[in-house]
Amino acid sequence: MDSVGPDSEQLLSGLDGSAGDAAVLRIRLGGQLRRLREAAGITPEEAGFEIRASRSKISRLENGRVKLKNRDVTDLLTLYGVRDEAVRSRFLTLVIQSSGPDWWGEYGDILPGWFESYLGLEAAAATIRSFEVQFVHGLFQTADYARAVTRLGRKPAPEGEIERWVNLRLKRQELISRPDPPNVWSVVDEAVLRRPVGGAAVMRAQLRHLIEVAQLPHVTLQVIPFARGAHAGESGSFTVLRFEERDLPDVVYLEQLTNAVYLEQRSDVERYLEVVDEISSQALTPDETTRLIEQAAREA
Amino acid sequence: MDEAPALGADGAGQSKRLPFDTSVANQARIYDYLLGGKDNYEADRVATDAVLAVYPGMAFNAKANRAFLGRAVRFLAGEAGIRQFLDIGTGIPTAGNTHQVAQAVAPQARVVYVDYDPVVLAHARALLTSDKQGATQYIDADLRDTDTLLRQARQLLDFTKPVAITLLAVLHAMTDADDPQGTVAKLLDAVPPGSYLALSHIASDLLDEETRHGLTGVSDRMIQQDFAFRGHDEVLRFFAGTDLVPPGMVRVEEWRPEPGSDDAGRSSLWVGVGRKR
Repeated sequence: MDSVGPDSEQLLSGLDGSAGDAAVLRIRLGGQLRRLREAAGITPEEAGFEIRASRSKISRLENGRVKLKNRDVTDLLTLYGVRDEAVRSRFLTLVIQSSGPDWWGEYGDILPGWFESYLGLEAAAATIRSFEVQFVHGLFQTADYARAVTRLGRKPAPEGEIERWVNLRLKRQELISRPDPPNVWSVVDEAVLRRPVGGAAVMRAQLRHLIEVAQLPHVTLQVIPFARGAHAGESGSFTVLRFEERDLPDVVYLEQLTNAVYLEQRSDVERYLEVVDEISSQALTPDETTRLIEQAAREA
Repeated sequence: MDEAPALGADGAGQSKRLPFDTSVANQARIYDYLLGGKDNYEADRVATDAVLAVYPGMAFNAKANRAFLGRAVRFLAGEAGIRQFLDIGTGIPTAGNTHQVAQAVAPQARVVYVDYDPVVLAHARALLTSDKQGATQYIDADLRDTDTLLRQARQLLDFTKPVAITLLAVLHAMTDADDPQGTVAKLLDAVPPGSYLALSHIASDLLDEETRHGLTGVSDRMIQQDFAFRGHDEVLRFFAGTDLVPPGMVRVEEWRPEPGSDDAGRSSLWVGVGRKR
């Protein structure tokens, strides 16, 4: 483990390069705050008391889940013994950058907070692993498929709002074509390929799109075919987000109808990792998967 | 995508597969944990802590072994001009994997990864991919089932041209009953003169008896695979039929170290790179 002395310039290394993306920066700054707190031997409760907040607020802050406030960070840096004015002021400059607008800001009116957190985490992840039982992963959906899925989930919504959801999804997909993209590794139940969401034509186009994205070197797609029988994925769909930083825990994202659950306790996360590891090793290889999707596209 | 279309099924059923069991520690995941990876489970971390309590040097061994992979593969792809690699006992992907090192030197290098752990192999297929199609491939086989391994390797590599076989921190998982000497001889037999063998192995003669005893105890109690110690002469025998390139068989950190490295004498791993006569 690298130890970060509170007065060290090292404190801010690796942060400058990521200043472009507010959500990513938040996660990195949060990680640094955790390192500083641990180096100072201060518990999350004590840190929370200092900024008039709870232990769980500190945890959300250190995991980049909430925007950092200048006043809170100033108090925490003092508590953690960071006295070097130059370091403090650079840290606080980064805090201001990290509370800047996120790219999804313009969708604020339709976007629930629980999903906004996910967008930030997804953008900061180095690896995104998912298991899907019903729908194609959001990062791989075509506009028509996304529209069909959105209509299902938001029946009474006006057409204009549906279109904004579709646009948001497409915008989110820029993640996989950015420079230095995350690894996206998705295992899907064969049902996902066979259920003609949006009708046969939409589904055929979606399947062709899947074959295309699966060619990208940082994208892996595996299908667990009906013929393999029951599998370990009784949990339903889930996503595991992993970050480059050694001390940032993996996060399991479970989406529900009206909310989402984020798990980051090691013991919880490991249950899901175990499931996704097991399913990945039972599923078709990426090559076999491409052949099965081609077949499904012909049969759709 | 990355596999030859000729290789239909991925070899499951033809070869022994290691059962996926997170309640018991596993060498690949322990190695991942020692290297700072996140693909390990509670049982792996508990066993690693037990290993380190007996022998703290194991952490250095792991890091030095990984660094040796980089130096050896750079030598093989560079100075030795090798374009085909058979990486047996791939392990969980981390930084500086064989295909990345080899293809950084020679973009046309072909790398075939072999592992008998289906979860390790799923990770390899997902994460050890080249930008170029077909340059990185995978075999699901147990080293002890050498014929199956070689049969599949022949479909992916040209065995009339030199191949570098890497067996890094792998052979210690084979007891003498598994005939590791015969296995390595068979592998070397299959490749033409001018091929290479790069190998690392835990060195019983660089550890005291108490440490060896303690490590064996932890392994027997907590770890899925066997852990067999071998001394200098036994490890040297693996290179029969090859000429060791300088500096010969040495401690892992002493094999062509990076300039400025002052780790000499720290590890308990023998390594060498031999060129088949």
